[in-house]
Amino acid sequence: MKRSFAILVLFMFVFAGVSFAGAAPDKIVIGHPACLSGKYAKAGEQAVGGIKACVDWVNNFNGGVKIGGKKVPLEYKYYDCESKKEAVTSLIGRLITVDKVDVVFAPYSSGLTLRGAPVAESHQMLYMDHGGANNKIFRQGFRSIVQTIGPATSYHMGTLDMIHQIDPDAKKVALAYEDSEFAKMVMEGAKDHAKALGFQVVFERTYPKGVTDLTPLLSALKASKPDFVLGGGHFEDGQLFNRQMADLNINVNALSLIAAATLPAFYKALTTMAEGVMGPSHWEYGVKYSGEEAQATGLPWIGPSQEEFLELFKKATGEDMLPDYHAAEAGAQVLAYVLGAQGADSVDSKKVRDVLGELQFMSFYGGWDVDDSGMQVGHTMVDVQWQDGTRVIVWPEEAQTGKVCYPMPTFQEKVKGAKAVPK
Amino acid sequence: MKQLPKYLPLAPVFAAYVVMFLIAENMEGMWQLMSMLLFYCALGQAFNVFMGMTGYVDFGYVAFLGMGTYGMALSITRLVQYEFLGVWIIVIGFALAMVMSTLLSMAVGAVALRLRGAYFAIATIGVNEGFRFLIEGARIWNGSEGMIFTADLNTILGREAAAALCTYWADIMVLVIAALAASVTLFYMRTKVGYALTALREDEDAAKVMGINVTKFKIIAFITSASLAGLLGATAWALKTPYVFPPEVFEIHYTIEAIIIAMLGGAGTLLGPVVGGLVYGLSKYYLSIFLPGFQLLIFAPVILVIIVLFPEGIVGMLKARTKGTGVERFIV
Repeated sequence: MKRSFAILVLFMFVFAGVSFAGAAPDKIVIGHPACLSGKYAKAGEQAVGGIKACVDWVNNFNGGVKIGGKKVPLEYKYYDCESKKEAVTSLIGRLITVDKVDVVFAPYSSGLTLRGAPVAESHQMLYMDHGGANNKIFRQGFRSIVQTIGPATSYHMGTLDMIHQIDPDAKKVALAYEDSEFAKMVMEGAKDHAKALGFQVVFERTYPKGVTDLTPLLSALKASKPDFVLGGGHFEDGQLFNRQMADLNINVNALSLIAAATLPAFYKALTTMAEGVMGPSHWEYGVKYSGEEAQATGLPWIGPSQEEFLELFKKATGEDMLPDYHAAEAGAQVLAYVLGAQGADSVDSKKVRDVLGELQFMSFYGGWDVDDSGMQVGHTMVDVQWQDGTRVIVWPEEAQTGKVCYPMPTFQEKVKGAKAVPK
Repeated sequence: MKQLPKYLPLAPVFAAYVVMFLIAENMEGMWQLMSMLLFYCALGQAFNVFMGMTGYVDFGYVAFLGMGTYGMALSITRLVQYEFLGVWIIVIGFALAMVMSTLLSMAVGAVALRLRGAYFAIATIGVNEGFRFLIEGARIWNGSEGMIFTADLNTILGREAAAALCTYWADIMVLVIAALAASVTLFYMRTKVGYALTALREDEDAAKVMGINVTKFKIIAFITSASLAGLLGATAWALKTPYVFPPEVFEIHYTIEAIIIAMLGGAGTLLGPVVGGLVYGLSKYYLSIFLPGFQLLIFAPVILVIIVLFPEGIVGMLKARTKGTGVERFIV
């Protein structure tokens, strides 16, 4: 009798344990085929640092993820995919089936994100994209994907909104950009938004990758007499663009170059010629997003402050370096997942995906909101301008660290050492 | 039946593929790993048909995979509007992939195969890069924007079938291509083509003097290798990953991988690409798991050591050691 009773008690414990585990797991695991080597190594290293920093914040400052009435620790499992598509699928397969992760973070770039999507879909696994900006990812009918990085078409929207607001007389815009999948997508969005705001696109032309001379294109651009110019593609052509605009003395009210103007090396290469030049970025250290800002905009706030994120990032990487937008968007993705899991009170991918579809919040990275396809629509790009050798965030207003200098100094003024100073 | 012993060396190759398939089917978490290993084996096997048998190193080999990828992508994106074609769109895609990679190989072969050694290698790199810039610069086939066609596949096959194609059937097709490449290799080895190729690999001038039409046999091997690459691109890239961006499908890195796999296993051998593909893929996979971020630092010297210790590749070494034993006839 005693023995039967003991077995019964044991069974009760076991079943209690099972049902308890069903309600709240012992840990929640984020899986990630990270790009730690190969062509995206730099972005991948930043992303891993950003994720580790935010996992640290969730566990040590937030006490874990609140599920089933208890706080569950978050764990981060990553492998190096070498920025290669073959490795991406094999590692996602392992993360889902062997490591039993609860969510998969996509690798960097649109191509690698696309590569992993069918595998995640086939396992009905939530797949979160922090490095694939191509809008077409979200036109393919994937059900489990959610984006944190803003889509490529949104890159220049802030720049256009800003100019529309501060200079109602500016009407003519010129678009000159690299012939690449990314730059084309960016400019497709810029063109549509420019037209919607009533701007006239007076010039549009692409140039090939690895271009060494832009003077024929820029001469034609000059003839179209634009009020401002949007262009670029990568660092090399971006600085060539700026340099040859100076050579040809093409003066416009504003010049915004993607992927180049936000880099410190841009100013180093061009010195005063870079004064007043702008560039869009997903995030820059110095943005003013905060709990107060969130309250003012009516959004819930989660996560570390920017300064806390910086410290956690340095701790995670073991290096005294600043996080860039790759780190911030990957970190913000951790926070989005935490809110999703807490909202669903579960780690079930479908339930969390449903909650993420409705979720709106603000973190140090800015706003977060996705549309029905999972594409990010709540995050606003920031616009950075070089002013006296410093990167100043000039747009949007809720993130800005200084006023914009508009119009920017002419190239003749810059030759004489003029600095971009807001009026 | 008389022919059977001639093709006995295929037994270990097919056995390896069957074991891989069974592991993938029955062990949880192994499918995607096996899919990667199969890709490397197939890549090495297809590359080996030309490089291994002629000794010519084609640095532009990935261009044929790229053409195959484009063949399938074009078929899917352009024919999706003809609903009645259904699954035939995929069949047409394979045919187009073969035709496009074959045509490119004929064009390249007509010029580059007149060159030898470093000149041949440089010319083929030029073809690869040149073709990529042609697609981007002339904006053909959507230019630098490339094509993303998961949604088109969903339309053609239905969501469930398309998902199964990407995550299961595409891998099975890679297995079939790997087996096909191995069969073709052995067929060539056992016929006049193989003897001629061996002769020209050892001494092209001497082969010419002996009356062998070296150009003809080089072109045969080149086109065969290219069409297998086209099929592989159509399957492992276009069907498994329904997108194509020019910088990714013309990435020279894949040619380097093919060279490493062939050299590691044993260039010109039948079993070599399988062994090379397995050693290469498994080392990379497990190093990336246990030492993420440092695997290439470890992998590079390991490859160097293997190649220095076994200049004929792992299978080359095994061949030498098993000479005169019963195992000899299986290690070719």
